[in-house]
Amino acid sequence: MADIGVLVPIMVWGLYAGCIYILLAIGLNLIFGVMKVVNFAHGELLMIGAYITFWVYTISGVNPYLIVPVSMFIMAIIGIAIERLCFRPIMGTGKLNEIFLSLGLIYLFQNLAALLWTPDSRTIRSPYSDILVPIGSIKLPVDYIIIILITVIFLIAFHVFMKKATLGRAMRATSQNREAAALMGINVERVDMLSFAMGSALAAAAGSLWVISGQMVNPYMGSILAIKAFAVVIIGGLGSIPGAIIAGLTLGIAENVVPYLMQSLAAAFNIAMSFSAWKDTIAFVILIIILILKPTGLFGEKGE
Amino acid sequence: MIGKKAAMGIVSLLIAVLIPLIFGVNQYILTVLTIMLVFIIYSSAWNLLALSGQGSLGHAAFFGIGGYSSAIIAKSLGFPPLATILIGGVFAAFIGVLIGLTCVRLKEWFLAMVTLGFAVLAHTITIELSGLTGGWDGLPVQKLIPITVSNYIMYEYYLILITTVITVFIIYQIMKSKIGLALEAIRENELEAKVMGINVMKYKLMAFGISAFFTGIAGALEIHHFGYITPEVYGIDISFWPIIYCVSGGLFTIEGPIVGTIVITLLDEGLKNFGWTYERYILIGLILILIVRFLPKGFVSIPEKIKAYLRS
Repeated sequence: MADIGVLVPIMVWGLYAGCIYILLAIGLNLIFGVMKVVNFAHGELLMIGAYITFWVYTISGVNPYLIVPVSMFIMAIIGIAIERLCFRPIMGTGKLNEIFLSLGLIYLFQNLAALLWTPDSRTIRSPYSDILVPIGSIKLPVDYIIIILITVIFLIAFHVFMKKATLGRAMRATSQNREAAALMGINVERVDMLSFAMGSALAAAAGSLWVISGQMVNPYMGSILAIKAFAVVIIGGLGSIPGAIIAGLTLGIAENVVPYLMQSLAAAFNIAMSFSAWKDTIAFVILIIILILKPTGLFGEKGE
Repeated sequence: MIGKKAAMGIVSLLIAVLIPLIFGVNQYILTVLTIMLVFIIYSSAWNLLALSGQGSLGHAAFFGIGGYSSAIIAKSLGFPPLATILIGGVFAAFIGVLIGLTCVRLKEWFLAMVTLGFAVLAHTITIELSGLTGGWDGLPVQKLIPITVSNYIMYEYYLILITTVITVFIIYQIMKSKIGLALEAIRENELEAKVMGINVMKYKLMAFGISAFFTGIAGALEIHHFGYITPEVYGIDISFWPIIYCVSGGLFTIEGPIVGTIVITLLDEGLKNFGWTYERYILIGLILILIVRFLPKGFVSIPEKIKAYLRS
């Protein structure tokens, strides 16, 4: 059956993947909460963010971790452009239009990336990629630990920002009741714009950390990640940061551990079958099950 | 006196019938046109589901299921492709109703995500059942018309043209009928539709079933035309194409998906021959964004807009 020595690294890998999902999901959550818009192209923002880091690193050669803020800043500006040019004009014209618009953005970004950086998978080598930290019986790349720490810092900063800062409170007010927030003198359109910028910057952070830790980026990686982030938002509940953290980590671990356990189970019955293809499917299975049981999401508002 | 719509339909049909006679049996032109016809069926089917307000992002699931079931039945039982295509459609419809059952309560992006999820799930399951489906490598498939027949490609074209005409006609009748009205009522306001005595669940499932049926047929036609099937039929782009065609042509109309498919396919092919690869997809993405923003009723509303402009 399952071997603990194999299971622990798989779980650590899941923890690290979970961090990426959390960063992506929190941005999606913020945009959805404030604007009630689901940007299906959110994964493409991650992909472009990752490519910007890759690009700047290849040109300048500085420590890639220092490029993360640059990539976040550029993506924030791109995010503002997307909000002002695409989503704001069609707000209130129906949810289907938002989905169609996102599709257009997906095509635009994927092929722009393929044009600029070829469709080949790219990655960069972190300067710390040779350092391994022994934890118990296993050795862990130090990059994973840095990424988990950076995610924790981002989460704390985000939490404090939403609770204390005027803008953060305005964002929360807008997501609770848009009209009331506008009546209280909050410039909701500005809040929309800045939420989109922040969401895009968080996606860029996720993408940059993804490529720095030695993962491959290619122009088509975004869609699946966006859906996973969406699953995290649904599981964790709209607007809930702790929910997103728990759901992100759960998904990260589940999608790595479940195929392994299934394989072990199959092996116990002498069935030689690989379940690695199921890795990307786990998120959907969870998503479908939850939405069948609760059509507005686990913490969604009541319909009708 | 026949309506303007019917006249337009007859004229375009005549053109479609005459093309092989004018250009001769040109492999390239006929292949492009055949795929165009397949996608007209596919987009029209997607449009029917969208009519009920259900925007599916995972129609490739039905496209692929129709293709795979037709291919496998044709191979294992030796039925002619013409029969198995129908079986493929029925099978896709069956799965469509099952998926629809999970989706009827979902709205907008939840529905979009779940349908997208089902397409990925269908992809994974197909690869896992490699004994039946050939896994990643796929399967060779019987051609619609055996290659030994001279000018088989022309007969294939006409066969698919007839199927397309029948499909569009049936979908037009459905859209005009009470079912179509009920679907539109559900799209505009589900609660009101329910209050008016429309069985929302029944009609939504019906839309799912019919849409999946024709999508399955389109999928089966395509793979029998190509002569092979791989898991790529479940690709996300296969799910997205009918949406691009319908939105650019004009949603919720019968002619929209047809116009959209023709215009975008011709644009795509033209730019491909022009040497554009990624640029043309960037352009299509831009067109989609611009249409959603400035021309929400699609290409088919352009004549009206011009008329309104001239009058003012």
